[in-house]
Amino acid sequence: MTGMMDSERSGPIVWSGIIAATCVLLLLLKQLLWLALPFIFGTVLYYVLLRPMQRMVRSGFSRNAAALWVCTVFFGLATLAMVLALNWSDGPEEDSWEATIGLYLDGGVAFVRNTMALLEAKFPILAEMRLTSTVNTAFAAYTNDFASNHLGEIVVGVVTWVPSLLLAPFLTFFLLRDGLRFKKFLARAVPNAYFERALYLLHEVDQTARRYFEGLLKLTVLDTVVLALGLWIIGVSSPLLLGLISAVLAWVPFVGSIAGCVLVVIVASTDAPATPLVAYGAIVVFVLVRLLDDFVFMPLTLGRSLHIHPLVTVIMIFVGGMLAGVVGLMLVLPLLGVVMVVGETLGRLVTNPRLRARHRYAKALRVRQASIDLDIARERRGAPTASTKPLKPLK
Amino acid sequence: MSPRLHRLKSSSLFAALTPLELKIVDGLLHERRYLKDEIVFDEGEEGQALYLLMSGRVRISRLHEGMTQVVAELEPGGFFGDLALLDNSPRNAQARALEPCEMAVFFRADFLGLMETDAVIGYKISLALARHIGLRLREWMGTGRPQLEAL
Repeated sequence: MTGMMDSERSGPIVWSGIIAATCVLLLLLKQLLWLALPFIFGTVLYYVLLRPMQRMVRSGFSRNAAALWVCTVFFGLATLAMVLALNWSDGPEEDSWEATIGLYLDGGVAFVRNTMALLEAKFPILAEMRLTSTVNTAFAAYTNDFASNHLGEIVVGVVTWVPSLLLAPFLTFFLLRDGLRFKKFLARAVPNAYFERALYLLHEVDQTARRYFEGLLKLTVLDTVVLALGLWIIGVSSPLLLGLISAVLAWVPFVGSIAGCVLVVIVASTDAPATPLVAYGAIVVFVLVRLLDDFVFMPLTLGRSLHIHPLVTVIMIFVGGMLAGVVGLMLVLPLLGVVMVVGETLGRLVTNPRLRARHRYAKALRVRQASIDLDIARERRGAPTASTKPLKPLK
Repeated sequence: MSPRLHRLKSSSLFAALTPLELKIVDGLLHERRYLKDEIVFDEGEEGQALYLLMSGRVRISRLHEGMTQVVAELEPGGFFGDLALLDNSPRNAQARALEPCEMAVFFRADFLGLMETDAVIGYKISLALARHIGLRLREWMGTGRPQLEAL
């Protein structure tokens, strides 16, 4: 299916348009932040569940029933797995979840303080710089005003995000049920002259998104397994759950990896407060997995999926982050991949004189058919009407 | 079966399919309407789809030594552009509607996807295609009509 793509490469004007369109879409996306995350989850799950649903359709189920069944079974199993993972913890726990969170936060703070003390003991210059007291002051300033400054924002954020995340299963269901119908609906709007190329375009957009999200999913599985194995070896509790959360957080370039690392360190330092080596080990494992991810897994999964030059990829990640924050970081690559396919194909359609001529000819035929009995005055005079006057045929 | 599925079944391409299989294939087909004299595709254009004629007539022609040579005129139930299902080589001929036509279009990527996910339907359609191409080859060898290869 690469014939059309390989035959004619796009020039700098088309590429400038592609990058500009991606930036505009990112800015729009920033306004639809609440929809972006459920959309990503919904699309990933759509590509995961598409094949089982197709199998059900081929065994005689209607699209509606098949979509409903695969969604119900998947989300049922996911909920069950989540409940089991939350209850099956071998780490330290308090009576309530608030107290457990407090315990882990305290564990994280204690780890930072211990590390500072250790660094001061090893490097006297840091002691002279009063590293521990500086960090403590910064911590205190942040935590003292935390409730008054940030609690409201957090509560509003949770109230906004949780319902929007519940959209993900609905999006998955409707994408599964109506995806094909929507594709046909879009194709129907295309004039005959451009029809085959438009079909190809829709197919390529679908393939680009599929390759990206399937690549992302493979990357997540690989990251989860390797990270879980490493954390299990050094003795951190709930390694699989931690690995999974960190791998999903890594969907956000840079920021997600840091958040995942902080999470792993907090858990490791709380699990073994007296042995900071476990937390240091967790950092080492995390860094190793990130390196493995960047140099081995990523090129094997996502790198192959979009066929974008690495320099453009890196620059666009920065542009995405600048224009639309975390969601921009997450979505800039799939968005660029899709806009690239659309832009390159549209560029070829607009610059193809034969297709444009055929479209004009077909439009003229339709105008003639629509006005076939309307030119009464000319008919009364006996002059040939627009309907009887032959169009100059296209050769 | 609905009248539309009956019409699909009447084509030699889908004759071997069961009603359920026909329904699955029908879900992948796109409907297009062409006016008299409208071009469906041009000679030399990259082919992406097969066209099944549901109503109307289509003329297949090609340029031969500067002259337009009519290769065939197709009736409802006939199909053309079938080589596009097998590869993405350029079209060998031009297809033009002789009267208002309704067509079902089978996109190559959908056909290839079907071959991967539903081997039985894929094999039945492939066999029908192979028979169709074989028939054309026999006609060509028997009558010496090189134009038929253009289909």
